[in-house]
Amino acid sequence: MSNEIWVIADMKMDGSIRKVTFEALSEAKRSMQSKVGGPLCAVLMGSGVAGNAESLGKYGAEKVYVVDNAHLKDFNPDGYVKALSDLVSKHQPHIVLAGNTAFTEDYIPRVAARTGSGLSMEAIDIGLTDDNRLTVRRYSHSSKAISDIEFNAGNTMMATIRPNTYKEEESPVTPEIVNEQVDISDVDIKVRVVNLETKMSDRPELTEAERVVAGGRGLGSEENFKYIYDLADVLGAAAGATRAAVDAGYCPYDMQVGQTGKAVSPTLYFAVAISGAVQHFSGMGTSKVIVSINKDPETPIFAKSDYAICGDLFEVLPVLSEELKKALAE
Amino acid sequence: MKIVVFVSQTLDTEARVAVSSSGDSVDTEDVKWILNPYDEFAVEEAIQTKEKLGGEVIVVSAGPARGIEAIRQALAMGADSGVHIKDDGFLETDNYTIAKIAASEIKKIDGVDFVLTGMKIIDDESVQVGIQLAEELGLPHVSLVSKVVEVDANKIVCQKEIDGGSVVVEVQLPALITCPDAMNEPRYASLPNIMKAKKKPVNEVTLDDIDFDSLGISRDAVGKNGSKVKTVKIEVPVIDRKLKIIKGSDDTTVKGEEIAQSVQELVQLLRDDAKVL
Repeated sequence: MSNEIWVIADMKMDGSIRKVTFEALSEAKRSMQSKVGGPLCAVLMGSGVAGNAESLGKYGAEKVYVVDNAHLKDFNPDGYVKALSDLVSKHQPHIVLAGNTAFTEDYIPRVAARTGSGLSMEAIDIGLTDDNRLTVRRYSHSSKAISDIEFNAGNTMMATIRPNTYKEEESPVTPEIVNEQVDISDVDIKVRVVNLETKMSDRPELTEAERVVAGGRGLGSEENFKYIYDLADVLGAAAGATRAAVDAGYCPYDMQVGQTGKAVSPTLYFAVAISGAVQHFSGMGTSKVIVSINKDPETPIFAKSDYAICGDLFEVLPVLSEELKKALAE
Repeated sequence: MKIVVFVSQTLDTEARVAVSSSGDSVDTEDVKWILNPYDEFAVEEAIQTKEKLGGEVIVVSAGPARGIEAIRQALAMGADSGVHIKDDGFLETDNYTIAKIAASEIKKIDGVDFVLTGMKIIDDESVQVGIQLAEELGLPHVSLVSKVVEVDANKIVCQKEIDGGSVVVEVQLPALITCPDAMNEPRYASLPNIMKAKKKPVNEVTLDDIDFDSLGISRDAVGKNGSKVKTVKIEVPVIDRKLKIIKGSDDTTVKGEEIAQSVQELVQLLRDDAKVL
């Protein structure tokens, strides 16, 4: 095993690198690199992505492995599994880190199994034992518990990190670029895309946002989610929803916050017409400040909120948006 | 069609969670054990597929002896038979090893066309095991399948939710899918079906029946110190919330002038008390 620490560059569909990559690089530089001793490396995989290598150097990546391959263009997980597995088998890094996203949840477990690497996901903190084995802190049991995980000695150790866990910190260096040729053939791509529908949003991404406004089934319709979006836009917040609202067709699945759907931990979470069932709470219960708006005086979420207004959201939210607009302008 | 569902038994999400005396696991005294809810969606999808195309549904699970109850629940829903890989050591075994062992037992079943499992196991909240199972089985996988659009003897077409949209994919069988909630409505097992389930065959497998050498892992891998990762400590943190709830004068909803007043109070609290504005 080498003594390199690798951070995978998580790419967005628009070709930019996710914030969580810079967060992970910064933390690896701060707390791991000098102990483990080898270079901090980034791994950039995609099609036409080589231009991103320098931005990774800004956050401390001394070496960037680049896999530029046409089969990686459409974010097909099969291609990424092949690319990363080949790289890990070839170089045997000590540690591999990535952001925890729907995409990494899809392909990283397969890489770990293929390369015989240990894997722990959704870390809210990472560290090293005295003998440089990876440690991970993560939520379990519907986010009611926090588990401390330790890797046993052996092969490469892999972990994914929750966005917004660490602060980005610049530590500029000009990286050495290592172009890696990976053989990805049609045989490796087993899952074929028949139809792809994407909708880009201007709002911040749920898992990266400092503020979130989420709505439940009580909004009553897709049109009524406008109340949520208006408040979100005043706050510069991401918009979220409960499973019930998504099931009812009021908003798309990628807005779902909860045990299935996204786990978020923003500074400010507005829960509008949400009762706070365990499955939803498991996805947002660690938010720093929770505010609920609900017309049911007995709603369970009041017992788990910092602040709340018992009121009709259709009456309260417009007034709240106005007052917040004024307060934020001051 | 031969359909396999990989299921796990977990503790109930609604359960109060407390740390055991050893500090590295959850206290399981008086705990209610259930079939992992996401596996229920997998079982339901498997049974619906059988109803559409004919065949059989085999439920496979790895865990301690009490895990048989999760298998019986799947059988009561309509699965035909089960395989119970039984050992207490699985409680402390990581996903990597469980996937390898489950795969080795599933490979003993001839002609498997379709493998399903829940997207996540709710107690340790891991999303890995289904995907790692696909790797060990050498099968392509599609995770988070919100809807099986089409299935026949040769292929499945699935809708999958992704960030910023949704995608429809096609893959040749045999393949594995992982199942999120809202994929379908799992049926309740009727009492007659629960009784029938007790007679359905369940093959019991112990560690003695497993050829660890061929799997490339040691028998010690089943258990804390042989696994690749282990839990060394669990905490149940208590987050104290401020509980500042603004209600109307009748202790219910704010009405009329109270609406503006309550909003002003809230904004002031967010600015001065919470300092989040």
